[in-house]
Amino acid sequence: MSILSFVRDSLAVAENEFRQFRRNRSAILISLVILPFFFTASLGAGRGGAGTTFSATADIPMTFVDNDYSVASLRLWQTLESSPDFHSLTQSYDEQQSISLLGTKTIFAVIVVPKGFQNDLDNGAQARVILYTDDSEPGVSDQIQSTLTNYVQNFNPNVEVQPQLTEAEKQAISGVEIIQKGASFAGFNVGLTIVLAVVQIFAVFYEIAGGMSRERDEGTYARLLVTPIPIGAIILGKTLFDVLLSIVRTFIVLGLAIYGYGARPNTDLLTILALSLLVALVTMGLGFVASALKLGQRAVVIVEFFLILLLFAFSGLVIDKELLVGVSQTIATILPFSYAFDALRRTILLGRPVLSLTYDLEYLIASGVLFYATAFLFLSKFRERLIT
Amino acid sequence: MKDDFVRHTYAISIKELKQLRRDPVSLVLTIMFPILLIGIFIVIASAFSATSHNIPVVVADLDGSPASEALLDKLTTSPFIHITELVQTEEQALGAVDRAQAVGAIVIPQGFGSDLASGKAFVVVETDNSKFTSASFVLGAVSSSAHDLLLEVSRGEAGAVFGAKIASIEVITRPISGRPPTGDTILPGFLGMIAILGAFDDIVNAISRERERGTFPRLALSPVSLFAVYSGKMFATVVLTILRTALMLVIFALDGVVVRGNLFLIFLTTILIAIFTLSLGLAISARIRGSSTLTVLEIAMTFPLFSLAGITDSPLLLAPGGRSIADALPWTYGSDALRRIMYLGLGLNSAVLGDLFILVVSSLVLMPIALMLSKRTM
Repeated sequence: MSILSFVRDSLAVAENEFRQFRRNRSAILISLVILPFFFTASLGAGRGGAGTTFSATADIPMTFVDNDYSVASLRLWQTLESSPDFHSLTQSYDEQQSISLLGTKTIFAVIVVPKGFQNDLDNGAQARVILYTDDSEPGVSDQIQSTLTNYVQNFNPNVEVQPQLTEAEKQAISGVEIIQKGASFAGFNVGLTIVLAVVQIFAVFYEIAGGMSRERDEGTYARLLVTPIPIGAIILGKTLFDVLLSIVRTFIVLGLAIYGYGARPNTDLLTILALSLLVALVTMGLGFVASALKLGQRAVVIVEFFLILLLFAFSGLVIDKELLVGVSQTIATILPFSYAFDALRRTILLGRPVLSLTYDLEYLIASGVLFYATAFLFLSKFRERLIT
Repeated sequence: MKDDFVRHTYAISIKELKQLRRDPVSLVLTIMFPILLIGIFIVIASAFSATSHNIPVVVADLDGSPASEALLDKLTTSPFIHITELVQTEEQALGAVDRAQAVGAIVIPQGFGSDLASGKAFVVVETDNSKFTSASFVLGAVSSSAHDLLLEVSRGEAGAVFGAKIASIEVITRPISGRPPTGDTILPGFLGMIAILGAFDDIVNAISRERERGTFPRLALSPVSLFAVYSGKMFATVVLTILRTALMLVIFALDGVVVRGNLFLIFLTTILIAIFTLSLGLAISARIRGSSTLTVLEIAMTFPLFSLAGITDSPLLLAPGGRSIADALPWTYGSDALRRIMYLGLGLNSAVLGDLFILVVSSLVLMPIALMLSKRTM
C-alpha cells in the first residue's frame, strides 16, 4: 500500500466525518457554540473582563458599630466609608441587633470597634476591631477580613485623612515590607488557560469516542471496516477532522476572550494554537483508546464526566499540583493534562517561549504517541469484537 | 378519576425505579456522582488544610547579618516552603523562578539588619504567579516568618531590641456559625449540585432514553393520562433525590462534617432543586432529543454552575455581570438555602423562606411550559 493511497483513504474518512457533522445540528451546536461560548462567557461573567477591576467587597452590605465614640473610631469609620472597598457600609448603634441580622441576607458582616479602642492606641498597645461574619457564604469572611486588615494595619488615628496605600505598602505587615515581584494576572487571563484546555478536552473526547460509539450503534463502523481502508487511515482521517474542528474552537475561544473580554495573552496566537492542538491530540488518542474498549455512547459521556472531574482534582486547575499530597500528587504527576495546563499557563500568562518548556512538551507528545499506539493496537486486535 | 390518577402515577414511578434498577450504568451513576464529588472536595480540602507543604523556593541572603540569618532560620523552619537552594545574587534567585526551578525567590537585601532597627526593613519576594495557590502560600510563609522575627526582636529575645513596629490594630474575626474556618462551607452547595446532576440524569433516563427505545409513544397510547405519566416520572425523581440526599448526608457524617438544621428542610430544599431542574430538563429535552447529547449538555452546564450558582464561591464575590446571572438562576437560591440550613442551622427564617419561595415559583412557571413543549414534540 502506497503512502498516497493511505493519505487518500484518510482524507476520504475525514470528508465523511465532515459530511456527517454538517448534517448533525446538535453536534455543531455543542462543539462550536455551546462549549466554547458558554465556558468563555461564564468565565467573563464570573471574573469580569481582563481589563476590568472590581472590588469584591464593595457591594457587600455590612454594618459598622462604634462602641468607643472616640476620635480614632470616628476616623476609622470615615476611612472605611470613603474607601472604594466598602460602598455598602452603614452605621449602627446596636451591636446585638446588627449581629442578629447576620444570616438573614440583610447584611453579611458587622465591624465592631470596642470600647477602649483609642485608649489602646494612645498607650501604644495593640487595639482590636471585631469582625462578625456570615460564614455560610463561601469565601466572603476571608475576603472581608483581608480587605479590612489592609485598611486597619496601617491606620494612623492621628491623621484625619489616611494616605492612599500602594499594594506594596498594604503588604507591610508588622514592620517588614514585602516587595512582591513577578507579574500578576487578571482572573480572566488565568481562567482563559483553563477554559481553553477544558473546552478542547471536553469536545474532542466526545467527538472521537462518542463518534466511534455512534458509528458502531448505527452499523456504519462495521461497513467502514469491510472497505479496504486500513485502521491507521481511519484513525488519521478522524484525527484530521477533529484537528480542524479544534482549530476553529481555539479561535472561537480566543476571539471571544480577546475581543469580548479584553484578554491579552503574553504569547503569539501560533503558540497558543500549537499547545491547544497538542492538548486536543492527546485527548483524541485517549478518545480512540476509550472507543476501542467498546463503550456505549452513554458510557462515553460518563467516562468524560469522570475525566473532567479528575482534571479538576488533580491537574492543577483548582489547586497547584505542588500542594497536592500523597497519592494525589502521584496522580497529578502521571496525568498528562497537568503538563498541558502548566504549559498553557507558562506561555499565555508568563510569555515563556513554547520551546523552553521541553519537559512539558516531551511528556505531552509521549503521552499522545502512547495513546495512539495503544488505540491502534486495540482497534486492530479487537476488530471483530467491536462490530459484533 | 382521582384514584386512577394516583394509581397511575404510582405505577409509572415504580416502572421508573425498576428500569433504573435494571440499568447498571445508570444505577452506578446515581451512586457514583455523590461519592466522586465528595472525593474531589476531600482532595482539594486536604491540600488546602495540610499542615505542611514542600513548595520549592530559593533564597538569596545579601545581608549576612544576625537579623537576616534569624529570618533565614524562620524561613527554613516554615512548614509550607522548602528552600531548595541558597544563592549568592538576586539575579540567580529571580532566574530560578523564571526557569521554573522554584515557585518563589526570596531576597534579603543588603542592610536588612540595620533597616530593621529603624523599622523600615524590606524583603523582596518574586513568585511564579501562574501557580496562584502556591504563590500565595510562599507569600504567607515569608509574611509569617517576618512577623515571628519582629515579635522576637521586639521582645528582646533575639538579644537586641530594634525599633520594630507591630501592627497597631488587630482584626479578630468571629464567624456566626462558631465553626473553625474549613472548606466545609462549600459542602451544602455540593449537595445542591448532586440534586441538579441527579435530576438531569433522571430526565435523560425518563424521557430521552424512553424516546430512543420507542417506549414513550407506547406509554402515551396506554390508558394513562399524560399528566399522570409526568407526575409518575417526577415522583420517581423525588424518591431518588431523597436517596441521594440521604447518601450525601451519610458521607458528610463519615467525613466528620457536623450538619446542623432541620433534616426535613434539607430534604425539602434538595427536592425543590430537583423539581426545578427536572422542569428545565424536560423543556430542553423537547429540543435536544438524543440521550447522550442531553447528558453532554448537562455536564457542560455543570462546571460553570460551580462558580455562577454559588457552589464553590459566594455569588457576592462575583463580578457585577456574574452576580446578575447568579441572581437570575434559581439554583443559586437552592444552594444558598442549603448553606443557611445545614451550615448555620437556621430554620424557616425570612432568607430561607425567600429562597424556597423562588424555587417553587420558578418550577411552577417552568413546569407547564416544559409539559407543553414536551407534548408538542412527542
